Amino acid sequence: MTYRPAFRKQGDGSRYQWVNCNCASHAMASDRHRRGVDPRNHHGWKPTPKEVRDRIIAVYHDYNGTSLDQNDVAVQHLYKVDMLIRYNIPWRSFKSLIISGRGAVVPIQYSVIAPTRFDASPGFTGGHGIYVNERRRSDGAFLVYDPLADHRRSGIPQGPQWWPASLLRRAAQAYPGTNTGCIHASFTRDTEV
Amino acid sequence: MPPKARKPGAPLDNAPIADHKKHAEEVLADEDYKKKPANYQDRNDEAKP
Repeated sequence: MTYRPAFRKQGDGSRYQWVNCNCASHAMASDRHRRGVDPRNHHGWKPTPKEVRDRIIAVYHDYNGTSLDQNDVAVQHLYKVDMLIRYNIPWRSFKSLIISGRGAVVPIQYSVIAPTRFDASPGFTGGHGIYVNERRRSDGAFLVYDPLADHRRSGIPQGPQWWPASLLRRAAQAYPGTNTGCIHASFTRDTEV
Repeated sequence: MPPKARKPGAPLDNAPIADHKKHAEEVLADEDYKKKPANYQDRNDEAKP
């Protein structure tokens, strides 16, 4: 069975919590990348959004939304995790990489999620980062860790959810800068060898 | 200028896992996918509490 990391919510009470989606997604991706094994350095384990954000602040003095590159630099330093960022890969190739044994952080446009039961931030329609852990063979759904899905009130989903492939695809393809039929993603190592 | 070589297609979903791992290595090694698009939105937006 594919390793499943601990869910990390971005709404953790820390100062930059509502712009920490990529930090939270990379914390979960780092857990997957290392299959839960502590690198045994002087940083914390398991990974947390706040620790990733603090590292980005230390390096970039950045207090706003974060990029895939910034998070990659942060998790390399904190957890010895080297994410592989790729742009405009065909959807079918993305699917193949997930099937092959990798997790991925995926930029999505939340306006696609907003009208669905997976909406975890009513009123939010902007650019967002989620972590995708695996694909279910029976129906092709993807196990998505949306860091906003913390059930902080009634109607907000809690923890990892199986999103229909069509929904993930549409949300990822709606992200700015994608070519037709393609998405952006940052991949973990293959943990299922 | 010669036509650009067509990229290898992804295996079918139910193909052997070895085929998916091989395709993954090809995609990750492809320099075209490492180029950040000019109109790429580099940072996420602020969500609603």
